[in-house]
Amino acid sequence: MDTTKEKHAGPVVRKPVVAGSVGAPHSAVPQTQQPSTEPSPEAQQPPRKSSLTDPIVSCRRLCLYYGTAQALFDIDLDFPRGEVTALIGPSGCGKSTLLRCLNRMNDLIDGVRTTGNLLLDGEDILQPNIDVITLRRRVGMVFQKATPFPKSIYENVAYGLRIAGIRKRSVLDAAVERSLRRAALWDEVKDRLHESALGLSGGQHQRLCIARAIAIDPEIILMDEPCSALDPRSTTRIEDLIAELRGQYTIIIVTHNMQQAARVSDWAAFLYEGKLIEFGPTTKIFTAPDNKQTEDYITGRFG
Amino acid sequence: MAELRYCLAWKRPDGSFQPGETFASFAEAATALSAWQPQSHSGALSTQEPCCTDQVEIWCSCQDEPATVLSRPRYSFVVYGTVAGGGGDGSEAAPWWGLQEAITGLVELERSGQLALRHGQRLRLCHREVFATSAGQKRKARAENIAKTVFMAMALMLVAPVLAILVYLLVKGWPALSLSFFLENPRERMTAGGIWAPLVGTFFLVFISLLLAAPVGILAGVYLNEYARDNWLTRIINLAVVNLAGVPSIVHALFGVGVIMFFAELRRNYGIWVPFEDRCLLAASCTLAVMTLPVIITSTREALASVPMSFREACWNMGATRWQTIRTIVLPNSISGILTGVILQVSRAAGETAPILLTGAVFSVPVPDHGWRAFVPYGLHDRCMALSMHLYTISTQVVNVPEHVEYGTAVVLIGLVLAVNSASIALRVYLRSRKKW
Ligand SMILES: Nc1ncnc2c1ncn2[C@@H]1O[C@H](COP(=O)(O)OP(=O)(O)O)[C@@H](O)[C@H]1O
Ligand SMILES: [Mg+2]
Repeated sequence: MDTTKEKHAGPVVRKPVVAGSVGAPHSAVPQTQQPSTEPSPEAQQPPRKSSLTDPIVSCRRLCLYYGTAQALFDIDLDFPRGEVTALIGPSGCGKSTLLRCLNRMNDLIDGVRTTGNLLLDGEDILQPNIDVITLRRRVGMVFQKATPFPKSIYENVAYGLRIAGIRKRSVLDAAVERSLRRAALWDEVKDRLHESALGLSGGQHQRLCIARAIAIDPEIILMDEPCSALDPRSTTRIEDLIAELRGQYTIIIVTHNMQQAARVSDWAAFLYEGKLIEFGPTTKIFTAPDNKQTEDYITGRFG
Repeated sequence: MAELRYCLAWKRPDGSFQPGETFASFAEAATALSAWQPQSHSGALSTQEPCCTDQVEIWCSCQDEPATVLSRPRYSFVVYGTVAGGGGDGSEAAPWWGLQEAITGLVELERSGQLALRHGQRLRLCHREVFATSAGQKRKARAENIAKTVFMAMALMLVAPVLAILVYLLVKGWPALSLSFFLENPRERMTAGGIWAPLVGTFFLVFISLLLAAPVGILAGVYLNEYARDNWLTRIINLAVVNLAGVPSIVHALFGVGVIMFFAELRRNYGIWVPFEDRCLLAASCTLAVMTLPVIITSTREALASVPMSFREACWNMGATRWQTIRTIVLPNSISGILTGVILQVSRAAGETAPILLTGAVFSVPVPDHGWRAFVPYGLHDRCMALSMHLYTISTQVVNVPEHVEYGTAVVLIGLVLAVNSASIALRVYLRSRKKW
């Protein structure tokens, strides 16, 4: 469809989805990083039986504190490469917090302290010497509230490339078209690329933000309730889009909509009060959860 | 105990109640209410038909005793009398929805014992139009109106003195205003001629002070809003800014004098280079700059803070550094606010007299009348004249200055301030409108 795609100068080289490749070098991360911390009751849950062999991100005993208030408790979670993982749980259970850990957005909040490990391709991204700029280019994010910049549509999508120093018009043009096409927005805006992005509708705003995020070719796209402010039709479009992007990108999505989680995700993690209660394939979580709390939440009995 | 009797009483147009039929039980009396044809106050109340009214009461009395009626009803209920349907509980907030509902409700209340009329007590049932405002709502609306009027009056009181000053000055100073008044230097011990020299002096003072204060203030504001974390250093800076803004201008002036003397001493005793060592244009400008700095910092911070945090987060998420975020998103969206803040300081600096009085502005400077030197009459280390100072001089220190010259000078000064303020508003409107892209 678009041949310009391959000419893009960005770091497009991406590992293929390796299903079932045994013994990936970084998959066996020791869980005993901090033997001094006493194991909380949640850590003593039976080990998960998952077929995960090639996680792109692994949380190891991840704890997070806002000042003195602990928001995440010993999260152990592997996000599978190239697939869609849904984070579900009642409001305030720490889904956004966990998501924001993955690209270190919590750094920007005063008084946040993190312990444990968060491994992106085997590299601990919580280390202070990690370059957060590079990290954030690899881990993009789409917010609940769409935040189109008050610039033209073109400039919005090209923003990430421009700040990376790309000036060549042809490269920018190609990347903008490719991203807009992938975000299923190209046909709607191709005649008005240089008009203000603020003139688009709410659903288009959110797709524009997705286009903007994928323009810099991240490996992971974090979505924090991307549809909660959208009408059903726009929601469907975003869900279709997630299905399209699946495979090319690892997507981690927070949603309060159980049907949506069931529709779009391959894996689901249920959090409750800052603890990971259950993680597994979406079909299993939604049909035969091991945990009573998970079942209650999914069937709407609490939360 | 004597039997109780219940009498239906209809309200008359004059406000009194006219007793009607009497019943042996409350339920019967309540049921007889169905003869009521509720009408609102506004409609003409029929005198012939006693049941066409907006209020009806049930009076209770012992059979034997004379019917003495207390002044206030024991119970009071409200009904939307002219509609059918159901619902409500008869209260002011939720009237019964229809007469039938009211009758059922009253009977039910009496049966359940929540409503018991004794001798001399009465129960009132008021009709209300469905969309009519209740007394409570009317009270609220009245309070609202009064509040609005009072606040508006206060706001208008602001306008009155401004208008009065402007009109008064214009009328008095009109004869003086002409092109030559602007372009000529003061002559004959200031009793004739124009205001060119002080006008240029004010311009220089303000321009140089802004040249010094605006970059420092804007950059400091950017640092404080975009980079500074909440720690002791930030708190000290904030404290300094707040206190600097609160220092009276005469204190700034004295501080300026102190600095001049300190510099002069440094120069004399140690031969160190200093920017100024006597009262001069530069010293006065620096004093003005120190005075305007905190306000520029504060207004810059406010303008930056009005850019939503979500913009910054979205930028950082795409790998933008803080500086890139500031340069590409934050500043373009707050520049109008920042510039407005800076420009407003122009008018403030132009009007101040005290700080320059002691640090560089003087009574009178011989300035060239012709040639290019007329446009640059002062060097950085010269003393200068200034409009505010000039006005002070000619109105208090010099005798025989024609009144219209004094007022003309005042008009120019205030006109300058107003023009600058209007320019800042126009600029803001222009930059805002451009945000549409
Ligand atoms: N900036 C913050 N400062 C302090 N506490 C916070 C902050 N953000 C979130 N929290 C707390 O962390 C917990 C998890 O919040 P969050 O991750 O936003 O929940 P969710 O996204 O699942 O609704 C909540 O109890 C919330 O009060
Ligand atoms: Mg959230």
